[in-house]
Amino acid sequence: MDLTFLITNAVIVACIYGLIAVAVSITWSSLGLINLGYGFVFSFAGYGAYLVSERISEHPVLVIAAAILSGALAGILICLVVFIPLHDKQNFTTRGMIATLAISLIGSQSLLMYFGPRAKALPELFGFWKVEIGGLVLTSDKIGIVVCSVIMLVGVVLWMRSSRRGLEIRAMMMNPHAASIVGIGIRSTGIYVMAMTGAMAGLAAALLSQTYYVSPFGGLTPLIKGVSIALCGGLGSVQGAVIAAIILGFTEAATSRFLGGQYVLITQFLVIISILIIRPRGISGLLDKAREQ
Amino acid sequence: MSEANENKEYTWINPLGVWGAKGGNYEVTSNQVSDPSDVWRKNTGYKVPTAKVGRLKHYHIWDNHNEKLWKRLRWWPTRRHLLHVKGIYNRKTLNAEKKILDRRPIYWIICMVILFIGPLLFPSSMQSSLLTAGATFGIFAAINVCWTLIIGTASIFSLATYAVVGVAAFLTSWLSINFGLPWFSLPLIGAAIGFGMGGLIALPALRLDGFYYALLTLGLNELCRVYFTTSQEFGSASGGLYGADSYLSESWSPAVQSHASYYIALMILIGALVLFRFVNGKRLGRILRMAPEKREAFAEACGVDYKRARIQIFILTSAALGLIGGLYTAHFRGVAFSIFSFDTVLLGLAMLTIGGIGKAEGAILGTLVVVFLDRVMIEWGPMRHFLIGALMLASVLWLNNGYFGIKQQFNAWRDKKRGEWRSTRTEKGGEALPEEATEIDDKDDLYFRRYDKMQRDYLKTLITPEIIAEHMAKPLGQHSEALERVLLYFRRAKMEDKYALHRVGPDGPFKIIAFSGVRGVSPRVVEDKEYPTEEAGYHGVFMRRVHDLLES
Repeated sequence: MDLTFLITNAVIVACIYGLIAVAVSITWSSLGLINLGYGFVFSFAGYGAYLVSERISEHPVLVIAAAILSGALAGILICLVVFIPLHDKQNFTTRGMIATLAISLIGSQSLLMYFGPRAKALPELFGFWKVEIGGLVLTSDKIGIVVCSVIMLVGVVLWMRSSRRGLEIRAMMMNPHAASIVGIGIRSTGIYVMAMTGAMAGLAAALLSQTYYVSPFGGLTPLIKGVSIALCGGLGSVQGAVIAAIILGFTEAATSRFLGGQYVLITQFLVIISILIIRPRGISGLLDKAREQ
Repeated sequence: MSEANENKEYTWINPLGVWGAKGGNYEVTSNQVSDPSDVWRKNTGYKVPTAKVGRLKHYHIWDNHNEKLWKRLRWWPTRRHLLHVKGIYNRKTLNAEKKILDRRPIYWIICMVILFIGPLLFPSSMQSSLLTAGATFGIFAAINVCWTLIIGTASIFSLATYAVVGVAAFLTSWLSINFGLPWFSLPLIGAAIGFGMGGLIALPALRLDGFYYALLTLGLNELCRVYFTTSQEFGSASGGLYGADSYLSESWSPAVQSHASYYIALMILIGALVLFRFVNGKRLGRILRMAPEKREAFAEACGVDYKRARIQIFILTSAALGLIGGLYTAHFRGVAFSIFSFDTVLLGLAMLTIGGIGKAEGAILGTLVVVFLDRVMIEWGPMRHFLIGALMLASVLWLNNGYFGIKQQFNAWRDKKRGEWRSTRTEKGGEALPEEATEIDDKDDLYFRRYDKMQRDYLKTLITPEIIAEHMAKPLGQHSEALERVLLYFRRAKMEDKYALHRVGPDGPFKIIAFSGVRGVSPRVVEDKEYPTEEAGYHGVFMRRVHDLLES
């Protein structure tokens, strides 16, 4: 019972943070941008979903769609403000990272000014039902979270594999310079990548709002967790991010079960540091060689 | 054919006609010959618009005080100068003069003097808030100067600076509250804590590079925040840990306390600057200037142990940060959790980027701007953080290296623009481009080509239907001046590809051939057209040459 409970919790945590981690990973490997603005994307998407649920309808599909769309919008905004003007300038990696941090500061302050400091709650997206499988009780929100994030991840991976745009993004991951020589537009690809990863962060925001409230600075913890998972899995590797998400989700669930909630971050960072000391490029960080910026 | 010449028709009379010379026309319509030196002037003239004023001297040149030529301010007891002064000669008057090459020490002193007399200049209504903000500025500027050493000099992108300060501050305040340690012991204990933490954080830096390390340290900062906010001993309920011993006695009046805290914070800042000067400007800093990012392998091949130097700087600076943490406790009688918050890291990063990463003056200016907005403009509310973010974004988007990089960036931009303007003004002087001219050894050839081009330019103006008609009428003999000049030029051409007439049969017809210019290589036939008479052949050759001239 304990073990199954642990595993379900680990899977759920892994699903939500895995979405952000994969987003961070894809952005880094294809654009070379360390996007620390996902915290803002996350809150922005949460508020987008909140506005739709408040003003239009509380239908779960609409709310999730609103979160995904507003996440993509915020992603495109970051791309237009940071990536497109900066990508060919000197010191792009450092400046890009600082610029995304600045966007996150500006964005959170604007959200704070517009919506006020009070946290907002989203409606229950998945209803209140339970399923019992072999003595294991699964609530509706857990199943909903897992199903939604798996659908999103599989969709993104399939899109990356089979579509023309996905091919362009993969070409950028391999060698951005060569990709631009054969006619792949760096800027247009940047917009696709940022819209897609923003949409993933937006979905994560909608899913996480089932547990936490939507607040201007609420994106910080998911960002830090997502970034650490991406780091641990190896920047630029989707599989690595998934593996790392599972490992860290398991660590989180196990720690809160056996040691107590306040030690979660400590054990997580110990795990991350030990993984990184053994493998400095993360679990499957091979692509990093290709992108030496 | 220039229009000016077309109108100036006149009738040329053969001066030799008086003596009944054979060949050549006796009277023919020709065109006036213009002055050849016009073309010369046009080609050699300097057409670039020049302003009357030369380059402005933006630095002061001092007189040389004659016999005091070698008298300079020096750091006692060394022979090092206080200022980097260069002796020069005035080009016009040939007087000996002095020029200060590096004026930064003067600016530093002026700024420090302004900071020290600052409290006298503050308006009395804002005296207390400005003094408090000034004290905060001093401490944060000291932290940022140390951080600049880590990010700039050691190029370790660590975001855990405030974590080191915060841990040292929390532990020292805890010790001071629980064991009643006096204030002067706190900085020392803080330095020891910082030293230990620096060693711990530096370990992953040996394996990880760049952004992996940045993200790791960001996580470490978050870890410290969560640990200290949730633990009972460090006052999770009260939002911070207060009640430590302080060097500011509570018996002093508030005005004395705020002035004392302002000046002590400035002393801390000066201490950090001294550390910066002695690390960045001495051996360690020079080693690392040899090994900038992406060139580490080269430095290593030269025998520079850059990793060791980086770790040394990191640990040394961490100890200094711990010391500042202890002073922080002794200054504010404790510490709040906000030192670990992500916002503090963000604001710190904003301070570094606004001024320019890697420069002590950049860190101080950025801190001044951010602390002013954050602590003095409190009535602006969330707007002030918005403004800080906008400043940070603007400096990253448009400036390569913050405020203090503007001069360098502007100079680079100006040089680029100058090059562009110059290239729009440059014309092909003669037949050789400047690039190829450097590769031609025989400079006579360059001058010849240039002269030849000018001559062709001039002769083109002389080709008119009149002289062609004149040549057709009589190819040989005396001609008008215009035709004579053209023919002289044609006759002087090189043997290579020079036209000639080839008599096909004993009495004609004639064909045009061109010499190869190489001994033993026979001439080539230029065209299949046959000219019945010698005169028609001469005119055919003339027309080909005219054609070639106008084409060139």
